[in-house]
Amino acid sequence: MSALFSGQLLFAALVVGAVYVLIALGLNLVFGTMRLLDAAHGDIVMLGAYTSFWMFTLLGISPLLSMFVAAGFSAGLGIAIYRGLFRRLLADTRMRQRLEGNSLLLFFGISIILQNVAALSFDTTPRAYLYLDGVTRVGGVAMTQNRIVLLAIAAALCLIVVLFLRHHIYGLAIKALIQHREAAAVVGVNIERIQLFSFALGFGLAGLAGSLLSMTEQITPFMGFPFTITAFVTVILGGLGNLTRGMAAGMFLGFVEVYGVALTSPSLDSVLIYGVFILVLYLQSQGLLGQRHAS
Amino acid sequence: MSLLALRNISKSFGGLEALRGVSLEVERHEIVGLMGANGAGKTTLFSLIAGHARATSGTILFKSRSINGLRPDQICRLGIARTFQIVRPFANMSVLDSVVVGALYGVRGEKSIARATERAMDILKELGLSNRADDPASSLTLSGQKRLEIARALATAPELLMLDEVMAGLTATEIAELLVVIRRIKERMSLTIVMVEHVMQALMQLSGRLVVLHHGELIAQGIPQAVSVDPHVISAYLGEPV
Amino acid sequence: MSGSIPRSTALLFVIAVGAAAFIPEVAGEYPVAVALSFAMWVALAQSWAVLSGMTGYSSFGHAAFYGLGAYVQVLTWGIFSPWVSVPLAGIASCAFALIVGYPALKVRGPYFVMLTFGLAEFVKYSVIGIEAQLGQFSRLIIGGPSPNDLFWIMLGLAAAATAVMYLVSRSRFGYGLRAIRENEQAAETVGIPVSLYKLGAFGLSALIPGMVGAVMAMRMNYFEPAQAFDPLISFNIVVMATIGGSDVARGPLLGALFLVGLSELLWARAPQLYMIILGVLLVVFVLFFPQGLATRLFGNLQRRKKS
Repeated sequence: MSALFSGQLLFAALVVGAVYVLIALGLNLVFGTMRLLDAAHGDIVMLGAYTSFWMFTLLGISPLLSMFVAAGFSAGLGIAIYRGLFRRLLADTRMRQRLEGNSLLLFFGISIILQNVAALSFDTTPRAYLYLDGVTRVGGVAMTQNRIVLLAIAAALCLIVVLFLRHHIYGLAIKALIQHREAAAVVGVNIERIQLFSFALGFGLAGLAGSLLSMTEQITPFMGFPFTITAFVTVILGGLGNLTRGMAAGMFLGFVEVYGVALTSPSLDSVLIYGVFILVLYLQSQGLLGQRHAS
Repeated sequence: MSLLALRNISKSFGGLEALRGVSLEVERHEIVGLMGANGAGKTTLFSLIAGHARATSGTILFKSRSINGLRPDQICRLGIARTFQIVRPFANMSVLDSVVVGALYGVRGEKSIARATERAMDILKELGLSNRADDPASSLTLSGQKRLEIARALATAPELLMLDEVMAGLTATEIAELLVVIRRIKERMSLTIVMVEHVMQALMQLSGRLVVLHHGELIAQGIPQAVSVDPHVISAYLGEPV
Repeated sequence: MSGSIPRSTALLFVIAVGAAAFIPEVAGEYPVAVALSFAMWVALAQSWAVLSGMTGYSSFGHAAFYGLGAYVQVLTWGIFSPWVSVPLAGIASCAFALIVGYPALKVRGPYFVMLTFGLAEFVKYSVIGIEAQLGQFSRLIIGGPSPNDLFWIMLGLAAAATAVMYLVSRSRFGYGLRAIRENEQAAETVGIPVSLYKLGAFGLSALIPGMVGAVMAMRMNYFEPAQAFDPLISFNIVVMATIGGSDVARGPLLGALFLVGLSELLWARAPQLYMIILGVLLVVFVLFFPQGLATRLFGNLQRRKKS
């Protein structure tokens, strides 16, 4: 029982939580501004992970550098998907209303494509590499350096994004778009450009998270899906489009998972996550998780 | 004995009191106009009668039977039908099928689709929509959609028809036409009508009795001419002291 | 849409089922296996359509009903004959659906889709956990009905599911379900008991998939939770319904035909390519042909026949 209060567990929960927060942040941007249910979000994480893996293995480049490449690549993919598929749809009002419902299926299709293209290109054997795997001990808690770095960078990134949203004009425009689309247009927000930007930023954050994860996790073409699930739980728990509450929710989920598994057993990990998933969805439908934003 | 009786109806949403102590009796074959500024509680009242929400206190009696807490579909089957302020069409169903649904599930609960279709066609003719029977409901103009909404409600064979701002958004010609239609269906189908309206012309011409709500309270009721000069009503609308 | 079934359709149906029943007599093992697979997907997709096509509450978790049926079959192996255990599996699935459906159907739109997916995964991992606790990691059942017998049972299930979907889509119940899909609040206002109907459709959509799962457990002689509750099953159903359409009984038939055909061509040789093509088809159909092939190719059934 004393293990429950160990710093080890706390550190693990922080790391897991930080990853969830980062990934969910990206999803919230895509979902909040455009009501698109990005079921492929975890697969962008996977692509970011592969990017860093190959750059490290083939070119010896540290993931701390390649994460920018991964972010850029993911953002580029986001822009391509936006321009290719969604721009046409979002412009037409009737289509846009149908879009929220259809977007899930649509992105699911994209997810299948991404996963299997990756499987075809890289085959399905799990990949991993060693980087910053030295262990630091602080007060009896053993922490691998790559996880410390992951936590630090994730935290820094979240801070940067929050500050950006609060102070930069684009950030304010995004918030406006999240809260009330029509009103934002009326006050002169260039909807088109902000949507594109949100897409790029959302995807970029996911790719970057994947990069960071590549240091600590095994990489497979199908690794992304659990992250999609946790991202959705986080976003819904925190309130759709509510970025700061989403961060708290992501942390909370990380803690629930790590401590839940510690209390029960590792094999119940998935039962726990999906249990929370369905609970959150039900509570949200009953209005118990706070306001939905006006569309 | 009145068809619909509201006894001391109050409704609060959390801290907000939407309706306070509203009592109202609607007699058979009346047309009662319900008016009031936005936020006066008219839509809330409709919601309570139709079963979308439950009164915090007070009773609603329909044909002497309490309908508090009944579900909307149960209330429909008892004989109350309503239209919505913002139309809610069955967009991808045909105009005809939209009305057939009403015939299948309303008071008469028609079991045969063929018979329901016959009745639906009659109602569509009554409302001037029979030439659009096979078109998707979403293809109608606003005026058409409002008529469809009424047709669908009529198909449920109600005794009480509640019209929620059915004139909103219509041109003067469309309003005039709809007034004629409403009078005609009221006679042909022996309806009692309660209508919420902002379009004063419709209220004055159709209503036998006007009821005025203000800040959730019933502040006046009577024949239209009397109500329109009632000092409380004038003060509520113009903000002058009584 | 009228109440009585056109003679031509009924005749066509009987002929098709009758002809299909001859397949084991004239063809070898492999064609029978393909035909069984086709019948299975038809049974699953038609059942799904009764709920999701008609009410718009798209289930992404139908694998749960399939898996539960398989599990019931395996658990009662040796205790009951298949004549009992298969219907029992269906009833168990249906009961599960009714219990879970009551809260689940309060969730709307795409969140319902996510919920059903989450529910199916939750059930899957729970059964995995239970089996692990019982010390079982997979179960073998040997000595059931022959592959041909199982084919005929599956054909029966496919025929039943198609008939149910056909009848529902043309019935008063079907009008009610469609009204729920178009505008749930308005539907309730015109007298449709919305919650009851949704729950009824949900339960009905679970009945045959439960039996299908039981039959497949006997066919594969094997039960393993990760496989029986595989989300790919749910995914395949949704893809079939999206491509074929799910508002009328023709839809799932077309969708199943298309998918089984495609998978016969590609699955063994290039599974990733098969999945990529499915993904692309899903995207294309959702964007451009949301009502599926059934409506595209054969016109809108809802147009009233001119008398």
